[in-house]
Amino acid sequence: MNAIIRFIGSAGGGHDITQTPSTLWPERYEIIFGSFASVLIFALLFKFAGPVIKKGMAGRTAKIQAELDAGEAARAAAETEAAQIRTAKGDIGAERTRILAEADAQAITIREDGRARVAAEIADLEARSVVDIAAAHSRVGDELRAEIARLSIAAVDHVVTGSLDDATQQELIENFISRVGASA
Amino acid sequence: MTDPRIEGYARGLFEIARAEGTLDEVEDELFRFARSFESSDALRSALTDEMIPATKRQAIIEDLLGGKATATTTQLVSMVVGFGRGRDLPAIVDRLVARASNAKQQEVAEVRCAVALTADQQARLAAAITQATGKQVNLKVVVDPSVLGGIVATVGDTVIDGSVRTRIDQLKSRL
Repeated sequence: MNAIIRFIGSAGGGHDITQTPSTLWPERYEIIFGSFASVLIFALLFKFAGPVIKKGMAGRTAKIQAELDAGEAARAAAETEAAQIRTAKGDIGAERTRILAEADAQAITIREDGRARVAAEIADLEARSVVDIAAAHSRVGDELRAEIARLSIAAVDHVVTGSLDDATQQELIENFISRVGASA
Repeated sequence: MTDPRIEGYARGLFEIARAEGTLDEVEDELFRFARSFESSDALRSALTDEMIPATKRQAIIEDLLGGKATATTTQLVSMVVGFGRGRDLPAIVDRLVARASNAKQQEVAEVRCAVALTADQQARLAAAITQATGKQVNLKVVVDPSVLGGIVATVGDTVIDGSVRTRIDQLKSRL
């Protein structure tokens, strides 16, 4: 390094290279060498680092593209799923409607069956009631007739026995004698 | 078919009464006593109970008939009961009455009524029955309160029923 500095110093005309003539600008040769070194460095960078950077950028681009594609796919999948959900929702609604309609139909059937059964039971009960009423009427009539007959029999015994005074007894005897005599 | 013993007793009583000359009266008294015997459970039990000594049963007859019936009737009933034939008394008396009626060429006419008949009524009734059946009848009157009123006359197998009881029974049947 020191050799380089001495070379550069010799090339500078023999003044102190550690001292600059301007506070703003460097030495001319520094500008030239600096520029050259910069160009060289950029050239080297372009030659050696460029492909790597380009490859990295391409990879990054590919990665971003892949992410974009994945996002697009996810979005498409989400849209598909959303569509399926919407379809399923529509199916659920249709199923709900179908189930409700079926339930309504079953309810109507059950109600009609129930009405028919109740109507049949009512008719049966009415028929049995009519028979029971008729039987009860007949039974009550029979009982009433039996009771009337019993009371009548008791009344006949009472009335006849009470009315059989001596005159009546004699009249009955005389009537019997007359009837037997007349029957010859 | 009449039991020979009943027939024998009836013939014996008949002959005794006829020999005594009180056949009609005895026959009538025996008939009425037989009907009383049939209708009274107490009398029937007393006169047919073998546990009661015969003398006691005969004393009962004396109490019942003494002074109310002829001596012949009382003695005949006492004799039958004393021989232990009290249970057969009605049948014996019925055979006796039938025998007496046959002897008089008559048919027994048993007449049941609720009240006693006067002699005139009995005569007219006998005449009416004779006229109706064509047979001379030996009228036997039984006062039976169960008849209630009117008369039931039985001549052999013929029954002439004019009783209130029968009419009430018919009315009950219709009711």
